[in-house]
Amino acid sequence: MLSVQGLCKRFGGVTAANEVSLQVAPGEILAVIGPNGAGKSTLLNLLSGLLRPDEGRIEFLGQEITHAPPEVRTWKGLGRAFQIVQPFPEMSVWENLLVGALYGKPSTPRKVAERVVAEVIELTGLAPKAQTPAGELTLLEDKRLELARALCTQPRLLLLDEVMAGLRPSEALEAVALVRRIRDSGVTVLFIEHLMPVVRALADRVVVMDYGRVIAEGPYDAVAANPKVREAYLGRAQ
Amino acid sequence: MILVGLLLLVALVLPGLPLGEWRAFLLDTAQFAFLISALALAWDLLARTGQLSLAHGAFFGLGAYAAALAAPALGTLPALLVGGVVAGASSLFLGLATLRLHGMYFAIATLAFSEVMRTLVLKAPFTGGAIGLPVQPAFGGAFPLGGYYLAVGVLALAAGISLLLSRSRLHYAMAATRQGEAVARVLGVPVIRVKLLAFMISAFLAGLAGGVYAMKTLFLSPYDAFGLGRAVEALVIPIFGGLYTTTGPLLGGLIIVSLETWLRLRIGEGYLVVYGVILVLTILFLPRGLVSLFHRKGAGHA
Amino acid sequence: MELLLQTLINGILAAGIYALVASGLALAVGVVGIVNFAHGEFTMIGAFIAYLLFVGTGLDPFLSLGLAALVLFGVGAITYLGLIRPVLAAPELNQMLLTFGLSVALQNIALLLFGADTRVVSTSYQGATLSLGGLSFGVPPLLAFGLSVVILGALYGFLDRTRLGLAVRAVAQNRLAPGLLGIETQRVYLLAFGLSAALAGVAGVMLSVMLYASPTVGFAYTLKAFAIIVMAGLGNLRGVVPAAIILALAEALVSTYLPGGGGWVEAVFFLVIFVALTWRSWRAA
Repeated sequence: MLSVQGLCKRFGGVTAANEVSLQVAPGEILAVIGPNGAGKSTLLNLLSGLLRPDEGRIEFLGQEITHAPPEVRTWKGLGRAFQIVQPFPEMSVWENLLVGALYGKPSTPRKVAERVVAEVIELTGLAPKAQTPAGELTLLEDKRLELARALCTQPRLLLLDEVMAGLRPSEALEAVALVRRIRDSGVTVLFIEHLMPVVRALADRVVVMDYGRVIAEGPYDAVAANPKVREAYLGRAQ
Repeated sequence: MILVGLLLLVALVLPGLPLGEWRAFLLDTAQFAFLISALALAWDLLARTGQLSLAHGAFFGLGAYAAALAAPALGTLPALLVGGVVAGASSLFLGLATLRLHGMYFAIATLAFSEVMRTLVLKAPFTGGAIGLPVQPAFGGAFPLGGYYLAVGVLALAAGISLLLSRSRLHYAMAATRQGEAVARVLGVPVIRVKLLAFMISAFLAGLAGGVYAMKTLFLSPYDAFGLGRAVEALVIPIFGGLYTTTGPLLGGLIIVSLETWLRLRIGEGYLVVYGVILVLTILFLPRGLVSLFHRKGAGHA
Repeated sequence: MELLLQTLINGILAAGIYALVASGLALAVGVVGIVNFAHGEFTMIGAFIAYLLFVGTGLDPFLSLGLAALVLFGVGAITYLGLIRPVLAAPELNQMLLTFGLSVALQNIALLLFGADTRVVSTSYQGATLSLGGLSFGVPPLLAFGLSVVILGALYGFLDRTRLGLAVRAVAQNRLAPGLLGIETQRVYLLAFGLSAALAGVAGVMLSVMLYASPTVGFAYTLKAFAIIVMAGLGNLRGVVPAAIILALAEALVSTYLPGGGGWVEAVFFLVIFVALTWRSWRAA
């Protein structure tokens, strides 16, 4: 579904992504993990088009999108939720979602968009807050809104950037269930996560990054036992 | 909405009312107020995408000069159109160059643009330079109220587009662009197109208003037409009245221009002080503008 | 050759005042995080202080520098406490518009008080020149340049060598979220804004001799200062001096060599702002 080959991105002297290659298969939930500063968020920004790669190639659904602008990627079905939730603060929850539904696919008629919003708002449990200004939500609601807004663009592949960060364990559990439901509705998921229990519970497959490189890849248990991975985490912990 | 319609209706019938000996002065002031309000509405359209322009004095001036120069050959209405188109085209250039600028950097770049434009008009061989440019009245002076109704027309057009845009799907794209550009793009909003479109519509309307203004004053000079004062009016009025609304700039325009006219009569030069003071006070004490006094809650997106 | 040399010298001499005004703005931007549109109006106030003192008491403008600096430090401090501090947590655009409003208000208040006329402080040495190998140096520009160098030296010394200066630089490099300002930071902000205004005021005093005092004399300097700090890189105090020299030289060259150059000089710094801003933005992308 998504194929990344040899992606490089440098900021001055720092190489934030170094020859990153990975594949995402339709229907899977892929986790990208790694210590702080490993280049995970850079990778996500490269995939969603907010950064331009220096080298490498990104293909989505068989089409090259390496240099496509963010909105074009969204139209093709590549959705993204941000780590730092950034709701449009002057709009209500409903209107926030409507932006995604109206523009996620070009020239979506208003009626269709409203229907999409109605579905997503039920799925994510935000219906009681529909008319609340987005600036007045709690953190948990913010996170749900972030996810819901990405869903409204009707993605085939959803990129999630630490959407559980800052949540209490019970809330994270809820969110895990929500991501599963999303996958079961036919959306492939690539997510970045720090909380290992969440990764273990959710991921079909794990990619580990360190210093901008992919250092390991495979099922959770295999990756967790990998000495390179242990070194990356422990070495940085001191 | 109702208020907007009411105001326009009053504007239409005003010349027919028994205004007494002040009639000419009142109509002249009203015409000026309509044009400045139209300019303020135009500025607000661009502001809805998060771009605070200091170039609207320049768009107004470009429209004025282009219409004045085109009028002898083309006639009044086509010349006004030319004014709008010239302003719109220049905004496309400015918009493309400043696409990646935000906040104060955008504002300062637009200010720089307008000063460069003024220098160009000052130096160009066909504009009359520093001496100025005499302008024919609208329709060669055949209809005494022609200029007045043109101003009403421009105001109605600006108000109509403003209302229409806040009810269209573009409203959401513009608001999203303003409140979070990167997020808007990732949600599929074609931010660049939205910004440029807003820029061109806004500058076109400003240029139209400028053209009618030229045919009203009958004489243009770069210092008047491109003065910073106009850019200040264009931005203070919507902020005072209420940003991102139609009623706000309209109401603000009528109030502030009335105040300005009164001050001009009383103190002459320095009347712009009212804009400075109103801007400071509004930002400190009434950041959502006049309209927020009418509906206090939850209408920020209207 | 001589013309070129003379042009270059004029440019360098003009750069002193530019660097003074721009250093002030760079302090406000770098430390407080505010682009102060009213910065040039502080310069204008400085020019009028010098003019009024000269007309009223015959005090030489170069002797009123200290007084003007003190007064403007006060004006800056009051501006900070009354207008800037209440909006520190507000959106950036509100801050910008607030100072823009202040600029418009101050300009027009001056217009109401003094009228639009330009007022020159005509000292005995105003037209005096020194000649050196066929080149001439105006005495006031020379004095102004020398003083600018001394003042800028003192400013950098203060920032580099003193504890308070260090605090100012620390805040500039590590600006906190406005909601979390400690008292110490508040003091540094106050100091920086006051200093910023004082620098502008001192430059204004020099302007009153070299150019004139008028209500609108300051606004162009706001924009020139902005052009300079954009070239230097925002908040980069070190880059201000070279950038000021570049701008002043460019203006001098245009006014000497471009036919009808006087009128184009105004466009030079706007072009510099425009190009510097857009170039930076596209390169950063």
